[in-house]
Amino acid sequence: MSSEQHQKDGLTIGGRTVNSRLFLGTGRFPSPAVMQQALEQCGADVITFAVRRVNLDWVQDDAILQHLEDRGLTYLPNTSGATNAAEAVRIANLARAAGLGSWIKVEISANPRTLLPDPIETLKATELLTLAGFTVLPYTSDDPVLCKRLEEVGAAAVMPGGSPIGTGLGILNPYNLGLIVEEANVPVIVDAGLGSAVDAAQAAELGADGILVNTPIAKAKDPVAMAKAMAMAFEAGRLSRAAGRIPKKRYASASSTPEGVPEAYWAEGDLGGRSISPERTAEQSAHTGLQAGSDAGAERPVTVKGG
Amino acid sequence: MGKMREFSLYVITGEQYHPGRSMLEVMEAALAGGADIVQLREKNLPASELLEKARALRELTRRYNVPFIVNDHPDIALAAEADGVHLGQEDMPIAEARERMGADRIIGISTHAIEEARAAERDGADYIGVGPVFPTGTKPGRQAVTTSYVRQVADEIRIPWVAIGGITPDNADQVLAAGASRLCAVSAVVGSSDPASVCRRLKEQIAAARGELVPIKLNGREEQVRAGTLEQLIQSYGLADKRIVAELDGAIVQRNRWESTQVRAGMTLELVHFVGGG
Repeated sequence: MSSEQHQKDGLTIGGRTVNSRLFLGTGRFPSPAVMQQALEQCGADVITFAVRRVNLDWVQDDAILQHLEDRGLTYLPNTSGATNAAEAVRIANLARAAGLGSWIKVEISANPRTLLPDPIETLKATELLTLAGFTVLPYTSDDPVLCKRLEEVGAAAVMPGGSPIGTGLGILNPYNLGLIVEEANVPVIVDAGLGSAVDAAQAAELGADGILVNTPIAKAKDPVAMAKAMAMAFEAGRLSRAAGRIPKKRYASASSTPEGVPEAYWAEGDLGGRSISPERTAEQSAHTGLQAGSDAGAERPVTVKGG
Repeated sequence: MGKMREFSLYVITGEQYHPGRSMLEVMEAALAGGADIVQLREKNLPASELLEKARALRELTRRYNVPFIVNDHPDIALAAEADGVHLGQEDMPIAEARERMGADRIIGISTHAIEEARAAERDGADYIGVGPVFPTGTKPGRQAVTTSYVRQVADEIRIPWVAIGGITPDNADQVLAAGASRLCAVSAVVGSSDPASVCRRLKEQIAAARGELVPIKLNGREEQVRAGTLEQLIQSYGLADKRIVAELDGAIVQRNRWESTQVRAGMTLELVHFVGGG
């Protein structure tokens, strides 16, 4: 596809097409104003919320929503705080009763330290909420089998975590994510754990259809700039994936043909004319150039999905 | 209030309204729903049968610790150990009833005009009935006194009084708005297939009109809130125009139902909204 087509290529979830593939979480921003600007910079069409008790001691501005309602955004409330499927269903019903649509991010944490999703309860909740007419996007562990099961019980998209929520550790298991993408018939949104633009690009290069980010933007030194960076990085990653990267090799291959190199005319030992051994240089780069994190897609299965 | 305990919902028997169900069964449901004073009214029954019913109802009301009144018959009231007697304008004078009942028993009387109310107060009635506010099958042929009489009594009469006549949950708020703080119901309660829930509803309406505080659990806290509708409660917290969701005893109450939902003692209410989250 051409780069122009690529840019305009919308993402369809549960029958609804959104233009931006970056979903923005609304928590932990320094202020609602900064959140607004970040939203404008990244162009997100889908924003997430949590459902909590109203504070009765003082009436808060519902600042999260008050300037957003006319923007035609898609609202993706989450079920955070739920520790089992029944609680998630209850929170989902509360969220839907607020009248902002029927998308729901199932988020069921089993462990307060890791906040990792409970796979069994997540599967149950996804099935129950699908039956109840919700468009269900479960936050799930990066398990290809579980993602497939979620799809089978009706998930409109699957949202595997790159790493635990708020850690910024990036995509800890690119191999699994690649498998999830390869198997999925619904969009794959990488949710949780991304740290900066590089992770957004990696998610896209691995074939993810979108990313959901909150902490890396909200807690960046400059949230507005980071919002833009991550959105651009994701698009860059998608473009890169579509463009088709080169295979990784152990040794160098020169970018220019070896023929026709002008011959040296000065004497050996002259400072300006030391000849360079091509073998030695290639060896060095093979050892230093491949680091964890930069080998995304090294063993990437070749698929056409999303590309 | 002397020998009369405070009450808010007065229920009178009316067996013609519940064929197939016993008087005791229906009255017990009313008591369970919160009726806090009960009257036996039987116009065409031999004295022996009337006394039998009075004794049975006395026993039932005693179990609920609720005062028991017998219509028209001081002698039956005494024989059944009732707390008092209720008279009509055509029955014996209050003075005569007082002589027969003694100072400690309750004497109530129906009134249909302010002059009768004044006379009852002057003659030592312990409470008066004010009605029929609306046309009723219990008193066919009697002209309804409307809520304007209720308003007159509210302005002037200082002894306890109870509005009566055709009162149902649907029109109770009008009567309460006219100044009544106690209601009496017959057919609306005993003619219902669920007398207890009708009583509960009427009690809620009365409590709301009285501005009583009721204990509820709100967002996990024990709160004393003014009786009334859910809409009023949410307004009192300044939240009515916010995008919030109300969940009452585990069930979501849609916004368009807030106005018709009463705050009840002991209920669990959750008010939630959206906050930032990922």
